[in-house]
Amino acid sequence: MARILVVEDDHDLNKAYSIILRHEGHEVVEAFDGKEALKKLKNFEPDLILLDLLMPIMGGLEFLQESQLPKKHKGTKVLIFTNMENSPEVAAAYKLGAHRCIIKSWTAPHNLARVVADTLHAKDSAGSLKAPA
Amino acid sequence: MATTKKSDAILRQQQSEVEAMFTSLGEGALSTDEFGRITRVNPAAQYMLGFNESELIGAWFPKKVRALTFDEVPVNLIDRPITKAFLTGKPITEKMYYLRKDGQKLPVSINVSPIILDNKPLGAVEVFRDITLEQEVDRMKSEFISLASHQLRTPLSAIKTYTHMLFDGYMGDLNDAQKNSLNTIIGAANRMNELISTLLNITRMESGTIAVTPKVTRLDTIAEEVVKELTLMATGKSIKLSLSSRPKTGIKLTTDPLIVKEILTNLVSNGIKYTPEKGEVSIKLRSRQDNVVVEVYDSGWGIPKYSQDQIFSKFFRAHNIVKRETTGTGLGLYLVKGLVDALGGRIWFTSEEGKGTSFFVTLPHKVKSSARVKKLV
Repeated sequence: MARILVVEDDHDLNKAYSIILRHEGHEVVEAFDGKEALKKLKNFEPDLILLDLLMPIMGGLEFLQESQLPKKHKGTKVLIFTNMENSPEVAAAYKLGAHRCIIKSWTAPHNLARVVADTLHAKDSAGSLKAPA
Repeated sequence: MATTKKSDAILRQQQSEVEAMFTSLGEGALSTDEFGRITRVNPAAQYMLGFNESELIGAWFPKKVRALTFDEVPVNLIDRPITKAFLTGKPITEKMYYLRKDGQKLPVSINVSPIILDNKPLGAVEVFRDITLEQEVDRMKSEFISLASHQLRTPLSAIKTYTHMLFDGYMGDLNDAQKNSLNTIIGAANRMNELISTLLNITRMESGTIAVTPKVTRLDTIAEEVVKELTLMATGKSIKLSLSSRPKTGIKLTTDPLIVKEILTNLVSNGIKYTPEKGEVSIKLRSRQDNVVVEVYDSGWGIPKYSQDQIFSKFFRAHNIVKRETTGTGLGLYLVKGLVDALGGRIWFTSEEGKGTSFFVTLPHKVKSSARVKKLV
């Protein structure tokens, strides 16, 4: 099973994603903003980062810029989990190394688990607008 | 002799009236001769453009006052409203930037009318209005809707996630009545989500910030996903939903898969929504040399002839539909049209009331990224 870093400022959602992913047998570490995620990266090398974009203190885009994932953490996949579909921020996230993007409010728990598994195994960076609810 | 004197007096009075009107206009106004040289300019125009009267009178207007499009591309002489008014002999209305004397851009709404006497153009009168405030209000409105939509979605995400977790048994087993109730909550949350999605996309479309991120995409795979997601909706009305693709090996194109999916989902769900029970909805994909064509056919109620030219307008809903289906917003096709435009495609339809409708969308094999996205990164 994989090592996953969940970066989400909404405490209810962060808790829910962690429950779902642990239920699937993944090892999960939580962070509530980009800055905290950067700190966690020092001691935790994740296979996948589930990343929100709009967060206080440090947002997802800034985190991607600061962490330089494609260079420093080559094996780590990034799954953007946001409510900002079709936005310039999502396009920017792809340019900064994100692999996929899914829309939070469209995604049911069993689909979150499936999309995480797909992203972990995917070779390309194909995105999908909304996992079926 | 007396008649001539009277005519002269009337003429002088009319000239004074025109002069007073021209001077007191709050909007910029100027007139030119048939070559586009400025013959008269009012104080508002001088103030807005930053030139004084002596600098403007006699100057060739298109050269003296430069114009830019809202994408900041210089407007060619042939595309200037005044030229168009001369060439067509008709009034022209357009919006663009005028460059002030100090180099500042001034967004203006322009109305030009040619002056024609005995079929000969004698010149033109142009009136222009500063629309800085309108643009600012528009931007603030878009920002507000966008922010409000995001804020609405955060609690909605939590409602959906935890409802699904309950439904999926993360917190223990449920009986059928409890599952049915949770299904009702999920359905309502989905409807709310659809509405927020549409509002967000329309806001982006209208403010020109819709992001196009091209990827090598399989159109047939996207269409299969859409069919899979909408099968439940179709079977609920015993509607036959089918998909065919030519060539059968699949259709590859470089486009934004998320936007294509949004377009297809809207067209197919509309087809199902506006087709009576036991009808048919089909999707046909064809790859051609120049582009890819998507046809979404439904055997539904159709669009009345008198409504057909308004079908892509915002908030428009056809009369024959409003009576049968009360839940629509009239935003779906307006959004689809904007998304197709963003991908460099075209959309049109054929429809007959009582028989059905076919929507056709063409998409280029390769779409360009949207310019605004490049600026962000």
